[in-house]
Amino acid sequence: MKIGVVSCSGEDCLGGTISRLATRKMLDEIRPDETVTICLPLYLAGGEEERGFAQNFPTITVDGCSKQCAKRATEKYSGKVSAALDIADVIGKETAEECSLSTRDMTEKHREMVNKVAKEISKKFDAVVMDYNKRVLAGIEKSGKEPEGGCGCGCSK
Amino acid sequence: MSRKVKVIPCSGIGKVYGLMARESVLKTVKDLCPGESDTVCLAYIVTGDKEAREMIAGKDCITLDGCPALCSKKNAELAGGIVRESLRVVDAFRRHKGAKPGTPTELTEEGWQIVDEIAGEIAGKVNKLNSEG
Amino acid sequence: MDKSLAILPCNGLDKCAGCIAREVALELTEKSAGEIICPVFYRVADAKYNKLAQEKPLLVIDGCQTRCASRLAAEKGLKVARKVNITEEAKNRGVVISDALRLGKKELELAEAVAAELLKEPEAEKMAESKVTFPEHFDYEIYKKDKFIFRVPREAFYFNENDCWVYVSGNMARVGVTDYVQQSLSDIMFFTPPAIGAEVDQFGEVGTIESGKAVFEVISPISGKVTAVNEGLVSAPEWINQNPYEKGWIAELELTDFTSDKELLLDFEGYFKIMKRKVDEFHVKKS
Repeated sequence: MKIGVVSCSGEDCLGGTISRLATRKMLDEIRPDETVTICLPLYLAGGEEERGFAQNFPTITVDGCSKQCAKRATEKYSGKVSAALDIADVIGKETAEECSLSTRDMTEKHREMVNKVAKEISKKFDAVVMDYNKRVLAGIEKSGKEPEGGCGCGCSK
Repeated sequence: MSRKVKVIPCSGIGKVYGLMARESVLKTVKDLCPGESDTVCLAYIVTGDKEAREMIAGKDCITLDGCPALCSKKNAELAGGIVRESLRVVDAFRRHKGAKPGTPTELTEEGWQIVDEIAGEIAGKVNKLNSEG
Repeated sequence: MDKSLAILPCNGLDKCAGCIAREVALELTEKSAGEIICPVFYRVADAKYNKLAQEKPLLVIDGCQTRCASRLAAEKGLKVARKVNITEEAKNRGVVISDALRLGKKELELAEAVAAELLKEPEAEKMAESKVTFPEHFDYEIYKKDKFIFRVPREAFYFNENDCWVYVSGNMARVGVTDYVQQSLSDIMFFTPPAIGAEVDQFGEVGTIESGKAVFEVISPISGKVTAVNEGLVSAPEWINQNPYEKGWIAELELTDFTSDKELLLDFEGYFKIMKRKVDEFHVKKS
């Protein structure tokens, strides 16, 4: 079972940096076998693989601020978002809107934020998986044929 | 009216080159050329409203892409920016054959060295564009 | 040879071959109306040489397989009339180049011989170009894994288990790597082509490609003589990532014995099955 996680580009604010790092944490540590990260710039530029995946598999969007670029882009090109997270809801609006941060300047406080957000993403992740499995089971009962699903590793190239 | 050159990274999340693009641009606009350049969030200007597009439409841009997919260049042009210089992080690796820059999450010392080099290159181009003014 | 050439030597200082390249360039300017383009200066300030490079036929002299002078010419968008590679010339003449950077008698003689040959020939030898017309587009079977797409051409291609392909047309063949290779390597940054004229055994090396992840030896599915290489890959190796079967082809060879070679190759069905298994196993291993 694979789920796409779409993070915003994250250039404008601290929320964006945290969003990117928390998404990477999902792929690197928390759900390495089930996460596929969708590269948002490539997705917007027409990347066939990114768009194809998001059209056929559940996606979770993670946005650093209220502009919600990841969510809007995914809805525009793939028509559905299984779950959406706004970083501001986790770390607070004021903190999320602080200046963008270089990974060179990360502090323990920032790493804690990343962990906190990653935890929230994984909660949504698990809820999406459960929901997807229920629908898959319903599919098996009706048609007697197991729907295709993804499997394999994450997208870190 | 702000004459700042827009320096736009691709921000790709899947490859180390995307992280390097991001970090190079951050260094350029925050440390090297803070008064002469700034950055915009690529996704916002592509998916955003009219106000978002005005941030870039008709403005001089330098794009820094991680890889040959050229997402920053394509998206900046899509949003109406005038891409005066298009750079790629992978090209810096032609000068650093065998370098191990790190992962898409974290850079090595070698990766940071290349980031600083690229940032210096971009700063040169920012100054050149501004002097052409 | 046209006596009035623009000459671009690599002038490399980390190998003797680079120093020999410089010596050849100097010989040519002394014995003809050729003019040297300094590669170092040209890289940082091209205004001085742009006119020369565009008006006169360009001779590129590379020291070794890194082909710095060729790359510089490609970066500057120059049309190359002739190329020569010192390492290949030495090999063809049975000369073993010294490790030292100062030119000894052997190296000076080599430089003189290469320059003399260049001065002797009536017209600039063209880079070996493709002699056979290959189709530009193919139909593919696709295997999708997560978001990754692996294409395999359905017809007329043969493969080896090293994920390299061959397309045969008469007595000529084109070789390259499959989608599995370019996906596994990610962004390919360097291409080292085989030498034109090189005799390659089946399963021998026919060039290398390199990304940030690994160096990959291209293993020839067939035996033959290299007649052309995809020179565009030197400056744009990403063509291999974009389409390794079409614009990303590696080399062309004149076949030696395809009937025998074919017995050890896989057709589409055979390769597709193996590739799918590799893709799945790669994912399992990563988890």
